[in-house]
Amino acid sequence: MNLMAIIIINVLISFLFGSILLGFHRKIMARIQLRPGPPIIQYFLHSLKFFFKETAFPKTASMPFYLSIVCILCGIWIAAIIIGPVLKGSLLLLFAIYAVYKIVEHNAGSSSGSPYGKMSCVRAVFSASSELPLFAVIAIIYLQVGSMNISDIINYQSIHGPLILKLPLVAIVLFVLILSKSPYSPFGITKGKDIISGYETEHFGLMRGYIMLSDSISWYMLSWMFLTIFFGNLSVLSYVVGMLVIAFLTGLINATTPILNPNHSVMSQISMALIGLLGSLLLMFFVF
Amino acid sequence: MNEIIYLIYILTFIAGSVAGLLFSYRQHGEPFVRSNINVPLLLMAILGWVLVVNTSLNRLHLFDTSIGFFLIAFVLGMRPGYGRYETVIGILFSIAIYTIKHLLL
Repeated sequence: MNLMAIIIINVLISFLFGSILLGFHRKIMARIQLRPGPPIIQYFLHSLKFFFKETAFPKTASMPFYLSIVCILCGIWIAAIIIGPVLKGSLLLLFAIYAVYKIVEHNAGSSSGSPYGKMSCVRAVFSASSELPLFAVIAIIYLQVGSMNISDIINYQSIHGPLILKLPLVAIVLFVLILSKSPYSPFGITKGKDIISGYETEHFGLMRGYIMLSDSISWYMLSWMFLTIFFGNLSVLSYVVGMLVIAFLTGLINATTPILNPNHSVMSQISMALIGLLGSLLLMFFVF
Repeated sequence: MNEIIYLIYILTFIAGSVAGLLFSYRQHGEPFVRSNINVPLLLMAILGWVLVVNTSLNRLHLFDTSIGFFLIAFVLGMRPGYGRYETVIGILFSIAIYTIKHLLL
């Protein structure tokens, strides 16, 4: 099949399935809090709704920046889909995309001119200083596998077994990274409810639709990356079950944990990254 | 090629959920309070789950699995609470048929 067609189909799958997963996540949180919760299709319906609503622009917004940053947000996650599920490219590129994502989060907050957005913009810098070290544990995967290419990592696991058994601490650290990206996360300081919706506060209509589309794609992408890195070449059914389990676990944690303040969030994430990094090195050299 | 089939499955699931949600809002103005089982919905859930589980996802039976996903999503996607018991019975029934067909016979 044509590469462009494969990319479009994969982006559509990631958007549709990602929004179902986020709806499921919301349902799990509601059930734990003894609420009926919305149907799991609700997140998808919300995303669609915003595409058809009137788009208003705040007077304080820096217009070219305000518009382009949302396009870049969408673009980087589509690029992640191309590098990940489509081409099975390098993890290092995914790390770079995540770094750009943190910059985009920062700029989305500052471009609207809203005080909540600006607060979120400052917090995005804080969270970048903790989430990027979390992602940096992929260096341990390089030490174990000898390659950053996802296809090489899959091949390695088909011979030596799943990496989660060899690098459990790295798996925990990357799970914390996924957790920090999930809605209502204890580490989600950039979208904390104390600053309304953080950098999304002043994005309405079409702009919000694109942000929700990006969120769905990014959730699918991060779940896919976690499962592929630590479990190898899975069947489609295993991917579906794995992604549902990740959504369930993050929903469970988020429903029972308050959002941490920025200092606590950053320090606990950096501590986890350090423990994961040093602990994995010790495990590699003294146990396996 | 497989990606198109998975996309069709997801689309039928979404279409079923939307149809189920609209149907249940038309049928029930009130929030979920009753615990009795709706027989037509129960039949839909059983048929849907049996089609999806027993035609087996990895063999890619496009038409019947798509119908199965639509029926599952129709019952599962109704107003919160409605369709809950029907879905559980549907899952149990399909697992029972799968067990008899693949493990006992």
